[in-house]
Amino acid sequence: MWAKILLTALCLLMIGTAVRFDPSRQRSLLAAKPSDGPRLRLMTWNIGYAELEDDSRAHTKDLKTVADTILSNDPDAIALQELTGPEQLKVLLGYLHGRYSGAVAPPGNSDRVDAVLVKDGKAHFENLAADGKYAIAASFHLRPQSPGVVLVSAHADAFSATRRRVFTGEVVDWARGRPGGSIVLIGGDFNFALDAKDESHFYSDNVKHDSEAYSYVLKYFRDLGREAGYTAINDRRIDYIFGPPETVLLRRAEVLQSAGTGQMDHWPLLVEVTL
Amino acid sequence: MSAIRAVILCQANLVATHRESCGCPSYFKRELGVIVRGRQFTSLPEQSQDPYVRFTMITQLKLEFLKLIRSRSFFLSFIALTIFVALMLWGFYSYAERKAGEQVTAQFKYTYESKSYFNGLTFALYSVMFSFSLLIPIFVAMTAGAQIAGERQAGTLRMMCVRPVSRVSLFLSKFLVVAFYTYLLVTFFIGLNLLVGLCFVGWGDLQLYPGALNLVDEPGKLLRDEALLRFVYASLSGTWALLVIAAIAMLFSVLFENPAMATVATLAVYLVFHIIGRIEFFEHLRPYFFTTDMDFWRDVFKPQIPWQSFQHYGAVCGAYIFGTLLVATAIFDRKDITS
Repeated sequence: MWAKILLTALCLLMIGTAVRFDPSRQRSLLAAKPSDGPRLRLMTWNIGYAELEDDSRAHTKDLKTVADTILSNDPDAIALQELTGPEQLKVLLGYLHGRYSGAVAPPGNSDRVDAVLVKDGKAHFENLAADGKYAIAASFHLRPQSPGVVLVSAHADAFSATRRRVFTGEVVDWARGRPGGSIVLIGGDFNFALDAKDESHFYSDNVKHDSEAYSYVLKYFRDLGREAGYTAINDRRIDYIFGPPETVLLRRAEVLQSAGTGQMDHWPLLVEVTL
Repeated sequence: MSAIRAVILCQANLVATHRESCGCPSYFKRELGVIVRGRQFTSLPEQSQDPYVRFTMITQLKLEFLKLIRSRSFFLSFIALTIFVALMLWGFYSYAERKAGEQVTAQFKYTYESKSYFNGLTFALYSVMFSFSLLIPIFVAMTAGAQIAGERQAGTLRMMCVRPVSRVSLFLSKFLVVAFYTYLLVTFFIGLNLLVGLCFVGWGDLQLYPGALNLVDEPGKLLRDEALLRFVYASLSGTWALLVIAAIAMLFSVLFENPAMATVATLAVYLVFHIIGRIEFFEHLRPYFFTTDMDFWRDVFKPQIPWQSFQHYGAVCGAYIFGTLLVATAIFDRKDITS
């Protein structure tokens, strides 16, 4: 009798586990044509200048080039960082011939702002406060029947790993709190210094803070641009697009190293996923 | 009551006859438990004092394991898998030669399409994928299907049920041995493929592309050491998936008198669902087929393992395994053994 009770308990345990871990996608079968959903193309780009310049924020004269890069790659949504304010966004939207709508975050304690651009004219924009500054999120639908998508544009502090850690944690917590069923992606310049060899002195916890911040993101999200290569000069990968670990399938991740102009020190990261 | 008495007498006579005539080990001869419909009615007083008749699950497992390794089908399955690996290697060589010219096979390990793409790990992955769906299930169904029905056909099942061991223990020990055999088979096959891949093709990183076979959902790359670890995972997830077939075969083994019938019925059920699941007309039925859930084992080769999905489908397979075993034990426990 004990064996039958054990088998029944194991069977019930398995059913309970199956219900608890509900998969976000249907299984694709070996040697069967995969059912491909709609494709979502995203871009993140810090269009500011290198720190050596007098004004390291985006320069309005470069926005035409930025717009050309966007139009030639045709992303559905773009996360931009280091704009000076809403005027630059207005100019950029003009260069994009009305194909995108967008919004900028309030500056907070910073002199530069993040922006998010979306093809969907009915997109909803929302500011999120993190560590005294703001990131901005756009909620939109790729198609009327497809699930809602939320893209966050974020820019973590370039100089303090402690602040990056706090900022990242707050952005991730906000993203986790989105209603179930919507697909949340975070794009931006997080400035993580994850390579220990880049650490020039022994008296800082930068690598530790950045590693822990990055690990915290990876606890809930997936680094979609991991294989794409460096996103900034001096062989640094500091721009990221984080997406849900299972809901989307990665189709393409590329750093557009030929894009950019002037003294820009970042290249755009382009990611394409299947919903 | 008279019917029960008749059965008891009949079984007692059978055991007594068997004690005198057969060549079984002495501890078989000494036992005399009489079981009617799974309940032990009588046993000899000497039984409790004899250490040989105190059959534990471990003893049972040892006996079943010895039976397994002495059977011809055990070695046949390993030989067949070795031949399959040899055929796969020959197939890859000839394919490369046909596609890229003879010079390719002269430096086979470096020149196929892309230096980094084709290597021993890719070979092992393809080989494992091809065989897992159709070849290994045959051996698992064969071995599991023969467990009860084979004993019945050989006339030994009645004797085994007369022993003072519960039928459920007997059944579960047989299933555990089948599970061990399945793990051994999968591990041997993966290990052999990796060895052949290393010796004849060379190692490198594992590059993954969805391709026509839809091996993975998205392109990606696994570094060599990580890929080897994923093969280890695959031996476990693959075994778990195959245990669904083993459990179904055990059920049929209880239901049918003939091991061939149990094996064929298992394979028929498996292949019908496997084939129908791949036809586009029945796409909406796919989620209800156990073969769809069984396919979860290859999720370990995805660049990032989708743990949520992996746990879900693994648990569904577990529900099939334990549910089927529960039904099979309930039937076996109450079944009249008349052969």
